[in-house]
Amino acid sequence: MAQYERYIRPKVAFFDFTSCEGCQLTVLDSLQTSPELLDMIEIVEFREAMSERSNEYQIAFVEGSCTRPADEERLKTIRSTASLVIALGACAHLGGINAIKNLRPLPEVRADVYGDKADWYDTYAARPISAVIDIDGFIPGCPIDRDEFIRVVKMLLQGRQPIIPDHPLCIECKLKENVCLYLRGKICLGPIVRAGCGAICPTYGDGCEGCRGLITNPNLDSMKMVLEEHGLSFEEVEQKLSMFMAYQTAGIKSEAEGATS
Amino acid sequence: MSYKIMPKSALNDWVQHLRQKFTIVAPKPKHGQFVFGEVTDASEFALDYPSTVLPPKKYLVPTQEELLSYSLDGSHFEMRTEPVPTVVLGVHTCDLHGIKLLDRIFSQGYTDTHYKTRRNSLYLVSYECFEPCTEHSFCRSMGTLSATDTFDLHIINLGEDFAFEIGTQKGESLLEGFQSIFNVTEVDIERINTVHQEKWQRFPYRLDFDVTELAELLTNSYTSTYWDELGDICLGCGMCTQVCPTCYCFDIHDEVDLTLDGGHRVRTWDSCQIRMFATVAGGHNFRAEQAARQRHRFMRKGKYQEDAYGLVGCTGCGRCAQACLVDITPVKTFNELYKRRNNIAEKETEAK
Amino acid sequence: MKTLTEVVTKSPSIYQPVPARIVSIEELTETEKLFTVALPGGLSLHHSPGQFLQISVLGIGEAPISISSSPSRSYGTFELCVRRVGDLTTALHNLKRGDIIGVRGPFGRGFPVGRLRGKDLIFVAGGLGLAPLRSLIYEVLDQRGNYGQLSVLYGSRCPSDLLFKDELAEWEKRDDMTLSITVDHPDETWFGEVGLVLNLFDDIYPNPRNAVAVVVGPPVMYPSVIERLLSLQIPEGSIWLSFERRMKCGVGRCGHCQLNHIYTCREGPSFSYSEIKDLEEAL
Ligand SMILES: Cc1cc2nc3c(=O)[nH]c(=O)nc-3n(C[C@H](O)[C@H](O)[C@H](O)COP(=O)(O)OP(=O)(O)OC[C@H]3O[C@@H](n4cnc5c(N)ncnc54)[C@H](O)[C@@H]3O)c2cc1C
Ligand code: SF4
Ligand code: SF4
Ligand code: SF4
Ligand code: SF4
Ligand code: SF4
Ligand code: FES
Repeated sequence: MAQYERYIRPKVAFFDFTSCEGCQLTVLDSLQTSPELLDMIEIVEFREAMSERSNEYQIAFVEGSCTRPADEERLKTIRSTASLVIALGACAHLGGINAIKNLRPLPEVRADVYGDKADWYDTYAARPISAVIDIDGFIPGCPIDRDEFIRVVKMLLQGRQPIIPDHPLCIECKLKENVCLYLRGKICLGPIVRAGCGAICPTYGDGCEGCRGLITNPNLDSMKMVLEEHGLSFEEVEQKLSMFMAYQTAGIKSEAEGATS
Repeated sequence: MSYKIMPKSALNDWVQHLRQKFTIVAPKPKHGQFVFGEVTDASEFALDYPSTVLPPKKYLVPTQEELLSYSLDGSHFEMRTEPVPTVVLGVHTCDLHGIKLLDRIFSQGYTDTHYKTRRNSLYLVSYECFEPCTEHSFCRSMGTLSATDTFDLHIINLGEDFAFEIGTQKGESLLEGFQSIFNVTEVDIERINTVHQEKWQRFPYRLDFDVTELAELLTNSYTSTYWDELGDICLGCGMCTQVCPTCYCFDIHDEVDLTLDGGHRVRTWDSCQIRMFATVAGGHNFRAEQAARQRHRFMRKGKYQEDAYGLVGCTGCGRCAQACLVDITPVKTFNELYKRRNNIAEKETEAK
Repeated sequence: MKTLTEVVTKSPSIYQPVPARIVSIEELTETEKLFTVALPGGLSLHHSPGQFLQISVLGIGEAPISISSSPSRSYGTFELCVRRVGDLTTALHNLKRGDIIGVRGPFGRGFPVGRLRGKDLIFVAGGLGLAPLRSLIYEVLDQRGNYGQLSVLYGSRCPSDLLFKDELAEWEKRDDMTLSITVDHPDETWFGEVGLVLNLFDDIYPNPRNAVAVVVGPPVMYPSVIERLLSLQIPEGSIWLSFERRMKCGVGRCGHCQLNHIYTCREGPSFSYSEIKDLEEAL
């Protein structure tokens, strides 16, 4: 069990690798809704927000996946400077869909992306930053959840290892009293995906695509059966599941590339 | 038993009358199903509704409930449960049974004042079912199809009129001062008896045996291989426990303010179906297999709760059956265990 | 004197802890610390050995911790021996003398002190199991005449993990008890027994009709130790165990500690072997 230090107004830096920077926008958003945050941490590097740079920081939030050897060097520098390195968002946490520009995980966008399978192999395999350096925690999601970001910052300030839920999304979805999408003729990966986003996609009527990654020990066989029973072909099931299982190996190029965030 | 009569046409006036003093919650439509939620007008809710996604227990143990707030130096604690008086309209009788069980659980031993405070400020107005609410319900088998107690007022739909059965003084007070309330006539009593009698034939028994045999069946089925079969297909998604009116397991965690000066102790619903539920620090899990978790769930429903609190832990509401994506249901499970036990018993007698 | 239980049950919420002050902290090993805690003015703990408290670090959370001191030695304070394993226990370890923790309890059924009277006692501790047993050991030592022989068998991972080293040395010197210790992984400083706690049974010859055993250790230890005790003809009802489970409420409600139909926090954490031997989720 790692010992975490308690920090008083630590210097915090944000770094972006291959990503849409949507997670950093969520951070900006949370700074606006919870300005007290700036009394608790001092942000020394944040490309989205400021130009001033510093080489001294205790906590580094890293957004985006590692896609080039040059990234590895940068990551190692960050690791050696920061006491705590936290992966920010699905790209850094899982390898992620590193070119999606959307702030919300829209299934349509992903379907488009997946139509373009050839690109998997053309692109340098994206990897989670944990494949390159040790990390002290992660904030999952595409993009991250604002409340969860604040919760993690608080835990870090308290000297705690960030606690991220590891139970299925359905639990959260039911607490929201959503009518299950399966009863509405749609499909959803909720039973095997990590909760913590407030089941935002089902709440808005879209099936969960799994941007927060799998829970530990998911019953994949049973999930596949359910998906097939609900009309997905074998290939579609594999595609649906590889959406996040392939995070480790595939770099995905988005159609939406070029859109500015 | 004392009854009052109200013409159906007066329902909205009654709701408006109650709103002067109470928050009113009732079944509201949502994406083809119903959920209990606040209403301001009779047009917003239905009394003839299939079943709500979550049972009304959410008003007694909220999905997320702040138990305490405190300052981090321990100099100040405050209990935060200050419920507003609320009338729950349209509680089904199976859900009454669920609440009755919760009442016993939360008052045993050290009383749960959070529950008690909420319970005292809740006015339960139940509603008689005349038809099975969904294809999944099996209330008849579980003996939860009539309102015997726990309600403050119980509504029986008589076509043009509603009959109110008065359960408590609290219930009576809901009718006080409202004009369109009439005394029952003999004809009304007759009508009440008729609708009661006629309803039963519409409800099939769905268990293949009598519910009084359930606890013993489960005891004898503890080592059944059927649990492994359930464990193989169960997704561990926890929906079945979240929607259940008699599940009440909870987690407690602390949250701090951003300034790290104060904090809150929060209770949230938990589920014995998730992996971490019985895991202790160091990683040892006392129910490591999903099969053991499913068995625990059904043991609670069919045996443990009855042994401990004298009420069977399943109301037959069918919510879990509707929710489960792999069709694990109490009816199927209990009947299958019954069948297997009989097969074993038969083999044993043959062998003798 | 008012007891903590009275205060906790009369407070607006059973989940509300009473603030208590850490008066000293002793580092027992690299991962275990002994906290001496004082209740606020005039409150007494009034516990029995084997009971536990729900300990809060405000802003972090709560966890069940056994009371390691004996009721016979309270002096207005009590002791908790805490192993740093995770979130809350790390936060506890980071506290300093004078800091406030929250306390609820004492909860549960402790060891059957009454039934131990006049009996020959075999206490078996594995690792951190010595923490709750220490409470019982002092209860016995402080009223030595009420009990028969006392043998304490203690197994630890390695010499540096031994808890309460000074006290072990004192117990070793006493002639009204025997203490045997074994470690799994010896180092160059270790000249004692090596191996499982089971080995220590070779030196004791209890009279089964008058012996009671109390066993506290990690789950893996129980089956083999119980088997050994049974082979020594100790009756099932005279073998007592204490169980660790996840516990959130401490009052038989949250469901986490349930072992078959039994709530460990309320009916336990100590059980006789005869009470739980048929329960699959016990051992
Ligand atoms: C009756 C009893 C007596 C105990 N006595 C002692 C003792 O004297 N000394 C000692 O060091 N330890 C004792 N323990 C174990 C101690 O409670 C756990 O080590 C502690 O809860 C771990 O919490 P954590 O947050 O540090 O660990 P983590 O691994 O960080 O826990 C992670 C999460 O799991 C939960 N969790 C893990 N284990 C438990 C548990 N047993 N109960 C409730 N929640 C849990 C925590 O709430 C936390 O949220 C005892 C346990 C029981 C049941
Ligand atoms: S909509 Fe998805 S997350 Fe919600 S209950 Fe259904 S499967 Fe689970
Ligand atoms: S519901 Fe699923 S896809 Fe949507 S944000 Fe949550 S984890 Fe991601
Ligand atoms: S709802 Fe079904 S799949 Fe989900 S945990 Fe319950 S039994 Fe298992
Ligand atoms: S087990 Fe299922 S049918 Fe029984 S009360 Fe719970 S949700 Fe209803
Ligand atoms: S399960 Fe029975 S009592 Fe409950 S709502 Fe359905 S029909 Fe009514
Ligand atoms: S700790 Fe909550 S029921 Fe035992």
